[in-house]
Amino acid sequence: MSATAARAAAPARRGARFDPRGLVLPLLALIVWQLWALTLPHDSPAPSPARVIATFIELVRSGDLPSALAMSLGRVIAGFATGLATGVTVGVLMGAFRPVRRVLEPIIESFRPVAPMAILPIAILWFGTGTPAAVSIVGYAAFFPLLVNTVHGVSRVDRKLVQAARTMGVSRPRILAKVVLPAAMPSIMLGARLGMSVAWTAIIAAELAVGSKSGGGNSGGIGSMMFVFYAYSVDLNGIVVCMIVVGVVALLIDQLFRAAEARLLPWRQ
Amino acid sequence: MQAVENAKLRLKDVTKTFIAPRTLKPTVAVSDVTLDIMRGEFVCIVGPSGCGKSTVLNMIAGLEAPSDGTIFMDDRPISGPSAERGVMFQDYALFPWLTVQDNIGFGLRNGTPGHSLSAGEIKDRIEAHIDLVRLRGSEAKYPHQLSGGMRQRVALARLLANGPDVLLMDEPLGALDAQTRLILQSELLRIWGETSPTAQRKTAIFITHDIEEAVFLADRVVVMSRHPGRVRALLDIDLPRPRNEHVRTTQRFGELSEEIWQLIRDEALEAIA
Ligand SMILES: Nc1ncnc2c1ncn2[C@@H]1O[C@H](COP(=O)(O)OP(=O)(O)OP(=O)(O)O)[C@@H](O)[C@H]1O
Ligand SMILES: [Mg+2]
Repeated sequence: MSATAARAAAPARRGARFDPRGLVLPLLALIVWQLWALTLPHDSPAPSPARVIATFIELVRSGDLPSALAMSLGRVIAGFATGLATGVTVGVLMGAFRPVRRVLEPIIESFRPVAPMAILPIAILWFGTGTPAAVSIVGYAAFFPLLVNTVHGVSRVDRKLVQAARTMGVSRPRILAKVVLPAAMPSIMLGARLGMSVAWTAIIAAELAVGSKSGGGNSGGIGSMMFVFYAYSVDLNGIVVCMIVVGVVALLIDQLFRAAEARLLPWRQ
Repeated sequence: MQAVENAKLRLKDVTKTFIAPRTLKPTVAVSDVTLDIMRGEFVCIVGPSGCGKSTVLNMIAGLEAPSDGTIFMDDRPISGPSAERGVMFQDYALFPWLTVQDNIGFGLRNGTPGHSLSAGEIKDRIEAHIDLVRLRGSEAKYPHQLSGGMRQRVALARLLANGPDVLLMDEPLGALDAQTRLILQSELLRIWGETSPTAQRKTAIFITHDIEEAVFLADRVVVMSRHPGRVRALLDIDLPRPRNEHVRTTQRFGELSEEIWQLIRDEALEAIA
């Protein structure tokens, strides 16, 4: 009986279980790629798995990759935190109070289709090419998914639960904190996960673009490192290393959020 | 005159019409209900599905305003919900993110019922109510991990733990097995104050589909009818208190049950046809 229960519970923990079958295709691609690279002349600049690995080791040993990664991650965390704080606060107010929603909705809806990259020129003019510009773009990108999902979660709270709390003499502010917010939590968590993934996309794009603007890629971060490989050393292996690192970090962040979700929302089936 | 003075709750010409949002088509859920409920009285409401029982309860709770007429408590019109009138909802309204024990303690920790209690007293009350509804061993589970009957008992425990003066219960035992149901009927009479003088009893309104349950519990049974929802009859249940299982075998118990059954039979048959 407990065995069937465990089996039934397993698919519910999405992403928590590792399925080795997912590795088959990537491994196959790697093998084909390496075999193809072996047919090339020895001094060809074309990337191959072996050269990519060598470049990766070199970049880690020199400390360039870790420091670039740390810089990008720091910006993402700062920007995401800003987007989280503003997105959830404004979202709760809009979801819970109709007049607030009426006033803010037109402004927000008109900004929402404006891609984070489109505000880059303004960000650079205001903040220069360093961290503040990058953080503000990340914050802008993370804000919308958080806001939209918070509003959705708050405005869809089961009315019966609010009524139940009112018949127990719970005050309005406390209902907001103890009923509305927890009820909206799954939606807010979803918004956070989406916000984080666009934040990571935005930081790379922003650093790339800032690099091209300032002509020296001096903004730092992994996007700027890619720009240097592209514009100056024309090192395809380096670019591929950066692409893979960006992809793996995105995957790890997503896993982290899923794990946090499972811990924070144990009551979801 | 005497009766009016003792009335805890007075429903005066209460009508509730729901207007459908898009079509604007009105539905008369409750029509012209006038009813006095005495302080310390246990009233059961029976009637076919859709006759407006839950609507009446929600209006007494202060969650819905009557379209017409007024409801008074202690001679003051009811204008909104209050912890004096505790509600157990037909669909339980448990908080899915809280465990059984935290659901039971929600009102004590966040609402007026717990204001004069210390943390230790609140804990004791929660524990006592877990035992009362026989949920020991499941206190750390979430609602989605419980059976329907267990959820219903959590909702009942949450209501009783808050200790309201007026108990409004919407089919509170409907999902339970026969034995648990009988046990909780007796417990409910004890908590209501069956062995205390009338002045110290709580006021209880209890909706049920089970006629024998209504006869066993009530001082008075309200029989409602449909289309529109009205009070069809009021029956005094003149069985002696305190009541025990033996009362179910008496002739009077059978007569009263039969009388109520006669009153709702036609409509019940109509509903099946
Ligand atoms: N919020 C609402 N909006 C529109 N109509 C409603 C609403 N609530 C109830 N009604 C209607 O009012 C009538 C009475 O409903 P109510 O829930 O009070 O019945 P009930 O006697 O409690 O039924 P049951 O025994 O099935 O619980 C029904 O026709 C129902 O469709
Ligand atoms: Mg009902």
